[in-house]
Amino acid sequence: MYALTVLLRRWCLLQTNLIVAGVGGQGVITAGFMIAETMSVMGKNVVMSEIHGLAQRGGAVTVEIRVGDVYSPIIPKGRADIILGFEPIETIRAADKANPETFILMNSEKQTPVSLSMEGREYLPDDDISRLLKPFKHVVKINATGLALEAGNTRTINTVMVGAAIATSVLPITPGELKLTLRKRFNKSLYDVNERALNLGINYVKNDIIQNDDGEIKNLHS
Amino acid sequence: MRDSAYHVIYSANIIILYGDIYIVMIMSLVDHILSTGPGEKLFLLGNEAIARGLLESGVNVATTYPGTPSSEVGDVLSNIAQKAGMYFEFSTNEKVALEIAFAASISGLRSFVFMKHVGLNVAADSFVSTVYSGVRGGMVVMTADDPSMFSSQNEQDNREYSALAHVPMFEPSNPQEAKDFLVKAYELSELFHIPVLFRTTTRVNHQRGDVVTAEIKPSKKKGVFTSNPSFYVDLPSNSYTLKQKLIEKMGDIQKYIEDLGINKIISNGSEEYGIITSGEGFNTVMDAVLDHNLKSDILKPGVTNPLPVKTIETFLRGHSKIIIAEELDDFLEQRIRSIAQLLSINVKIYGKMDGYFPYSHEFSVDTVSSSLSKIMGFDFVLPGDPVDMSSIPQRPPVFCPGCPHRATFYAVKRAVNMAKIKDVIYPSDIGCYSLGCYPPFNTGDSMISMGASIGLATGFAKVTGQHVVAFIGDSTFFHAGIPAFINAVRNNSTMTVVILDNRTTAMTGQQTNPGVPVNAFGENAYEESIEAILRSTGISNIKTVDPYSIKETLIAVSSAIRSEGISIVIARRECAILRDNEMRKEKRWEMYDVNQDRCTQCLRCVENFACPAIYIDHEKVKINPTICDGCGVCAEPYVCPYRAIEKVVPVAD
Repeated sequence: MYALTVLLRRWCLLQTNLIVAGVGGQGVITAGFMIAETMSVMGKNVVMSEIHGLAQRGGAVTVEIRVGDVYSPIIPKGRADIILGFEPIETIRAADKANPETFILMNSEKQTPVSLSMEGREYLPDDDISRLLKPFKHVVKINATGLALEAGNTRTINTVMVGAAIATSVLPITPGELKLTLRKRFNKSLYDVNERALNLGINYVKNDIIQNDDGEIKNLHS
Repeated sequence: MRDSAYHVIYSANIIILYGDIYIVMIMSLVDHILSTGPGEKLFLLGNEAIARGLLESGVNVATTYPGTPSSEVGDVLSNIAQKAGMYFEFSTNEKVALEIAFAASISGLRSFVFMKHVGLNVAADSFVSTVYSGVRGGMVVMTADDPSMFSSQNEQDNREYSALAHVPMFEPSNPQEAKDFLVKAYELSELFHIPVLFRTTTRVNHQRGDVVTAEIKPSKKKGVFTSNPSFYVDLPSNSYTLKQKLIEKMGDIQKYIEDLGINKIISNGSEEYGIITSGEGFNTVMDAVLDHNLKSDILKPGVTNPLPVKTIETFLRGHSKIIIAEELDDFLEQRIRSIAQLLSINVKIYGKMDGYFPYSHEFSVDTVSSSLSKIMGFDFVLPGDPVDMSSIPQRPPVFCPGCPHRATFYAVKRAVNMAKIKDVIYPSDIGCYSLGCYPPFNTGDSMISMGASIGLATGFAKVTGQHVVAFIGDSTFFHAGIPAFINAVRNNSTMTVVILDNRTTAMTGQQTNPGVPVNAFGENAYEESIEAILRSTGISNIKTVDPYSIKETLIAVSSAIRSEGISIVIARRECAILRDNEMRKEKRWEMYDVNQDRCTQCLRCVENFACPAIYIDHEKVKINPTICDGCGVCAEPYVCPYRAIEKVVPVAD
C-alpha cells in the first residue's frame, strides 16, 4: 500500500512542494539547492525561492522548492508535500503550509531563539512539540546532528536531512541522482563526508522508520 | 590591516554566510555562468541569470552599490567580470555608480548599473537627466524592488520611475526571462539611444530556475567619447529641446515593442475573462488559473512602459471582462483604464482601484486566488492554520554570534545607564546594526534611509534639549554620511556618533567598501580612513576602540556623551563572518562554556547580551558549542560579573 502511494506521488502528481526550514548557519539554502538542482538536472521543471540578506546567522531561514507544472516559487497554504525542518521550532513554523498528509522530517537538535532566552524562558518542552505536530500523520524525528558527527563533520547536518528526504520517496529523485550532484559540486574529501552523511540520512529513514506498508509514521509520538 | 586576509576572503567568494561547503558550491556555479556554451541548461538564481545576460549582451562596464535583492549580481561579477573582460566596481553609492555607467555608455560602451529600489532614489538625480541626454552604447539600469519588504525600509513601486523619467521599462517574471529580456533591453537602448529601466522584484532576483544559455558576446575594450554639448550638457536651453525629442522617442518605442516577441499571450479561448499581469504577478496568476482550472486568457507585456497599446487594444476588444492583476501600485490599471476610455472600448475592468486586489505586499497564489474568486465567482477557501502559531516563539534576525555590533551596543547602553541619562535619542541607520533597534538594546529611535542618522541627529540636537547618540556603519558613512557630518560641523551641533566599522558591507553579503584595502576583484585599493575624513571636516573629538573590549568602548562612550560639540566613537572590528573565515583558514578555533559552579543564574548574559549561543536549559545557563563563535566578549566581567564564562578547548570538528 505504502509503495503504491509513493509511486502515485512520484509519477502522477502534477506538482511536489518542499519546504526546507531552519536557522541561519545550518546550511538550509545549500540543502534546498542540492535537491532542486538534482531535480532540474533530471529534467523536471523546478522553481525555488531563496531569501538572502538581513538574517545571516541565528535568524529563521526558509527555502521553498516547487517541482512540476508550477510558476510561482511560493507554495500556497496547505500544499506543502514535504517539510525538512533543521530545528524543531522552525519545523513547526514551516508546518503552517502543511496538511495532515504532509511528510515532516525534523532534526531534533534545538536552538533556543534569543527572544526566549532574553525573557529568561527555556525552549518549548518536548511534549509541546509533540502536541503541536499531532495533526500530521507522517512525522519523522531525526538526530541529524548526531548522524552528521558520525559521518565525520557536524556541518553535514543538511546532507543528512537531504538523505532522509530522499528516502521518503516523496521527491522525484533517487539517491544515485543526488550523488551525481554531490560529485559535481564537491571535491573528493568533501564528497566522501557528504556521501556518508547522505547514506546515514537515507538509512535512518529506510531502516528505522518506514518498516511497514501502511504508510503511517508515528516515530515521534511513540 | 590584514591585507592578505582580505585578499583571500574577498577574492575567494563573497557569499560566505553559509560556510565552507557553500563557498565550494557557489564557486563552481559562478564559473559555469561564464564557461557554459550556448544552448545549455543551467539552474540559476535570477541574479545569476542576470549576470549571464550581461555576458550574452557583451556588456563592458557594470557598477553597483550592494543592496538586497540585487546583491548577488555583484557577487558573481566580482568573480567573473575580469575573466570576461568586463569592468566592474562596487561604487561608493548608487548615484556615483549610475554616473560611471552613463559615462561608459556615452563613450560607446554597453553599461549596466544595478541597485535595490531605494538605491534608485539616491541615483534618481542623475538618472532622470541621463534620459534627456540619451546614450550611445546600450545602458540598462536595474531596479530590484522588494514587495513585502523582506529586507527594505519601504516597498515603493519603481515602475513609477519609468513614467517619471520617460524611460522604457522591462519586467521579467523568472530567471530565463531576466536573461533574455536583458539582451532585448540592450538592443532597444542602442536603437533608440535611451537608457532602459529593468525592473525586477525579490521573487525574480531570488528565484532559482532553469535557464537556457545563448552565445556570449565579446565586449569592446575601450570607449571613445566625442564632445557633443547639445546632448550631454543639460543646460536649460539644451534640455528644452531634448525633452521634446524624448517624448517623440517614447512614441516610436511604443510601436517598436508591439512586435518585440516578449509580450506573452496565453490563450484558453475565453471570450469572457482576460487577465493582464506582469512580473512575478504573472507566476501567481498562472498558478491560480491552473489550480482552479479557470477559463481565462492571460496577457503579460514584457515592456510595461510604454505599454504595447495595439496588443492591449486587441486583448481588450476580445474579452468582455478584463482583470488587471499586478503587485503594489495600480500602474498598469491606470494606464489600461485610460486606453479603454480613449479608444471607447466597452469592457468591464476589475483591479485594485475597485478593491479586488491589495495595494500592498507581494502576491501569493492564495491572495490572487482569493481576488479572482470574488471577481469570477468560484469557491475559494483559504485552508485554516494546521498549527496554533501563537505558542511558537519568533526568531527575528539577530546579531550573529561573535558580531562586534552586539558588544558595541552593550557598552553604549551600559555607558548611558551609568551616566544616568534618561532622555537619549538614538537615530540609527541602514546596515546590520539596524538590528540594535530590537530588545534588549533598543538603540534605534529612527531609521529611514542611508546616512539619515546623521541628519536626524543634527535635527534632534537642534530642536530638543535631549542627548543624541547616533549610529552609522562604515559603508553607510562613505555612501551618504559624509555630507551630513559636514553640515553638523558647520551648524555647531552637539551630538555623539558611534561609527560601527566592521570593515565590510556586511548585511548584503560582505562586499568591499572604501574603508578596506581591496576592491571588488580583491586587488589593492586605497584604504580610506574614517578618522582622517572626520578630522578634515573639523571634528577633533574622535576615539577609536575595539568593541571586543567592553571596557574600552564603555570608557570612550562615557566620555563622548559628556562632551560638548560633536564626539565620535569608532568601534572597529571586522565582521564575525570575515573573522570566522580567517580563523578557519588558520585552523584556529576558540570556544566558551559556563562554569556551573560559579554561575549564579543572574541571567545578565541572556537578558542583556542576547547572543544566540547562550540559552537557558533546565534552569541552567548554557552555551551551545555548535553556535558559539569564540569571541569571548560574554566572558568579560562587564557581561558576567561572576566570571562564570570560561574559555574551553573545543572538540575538533
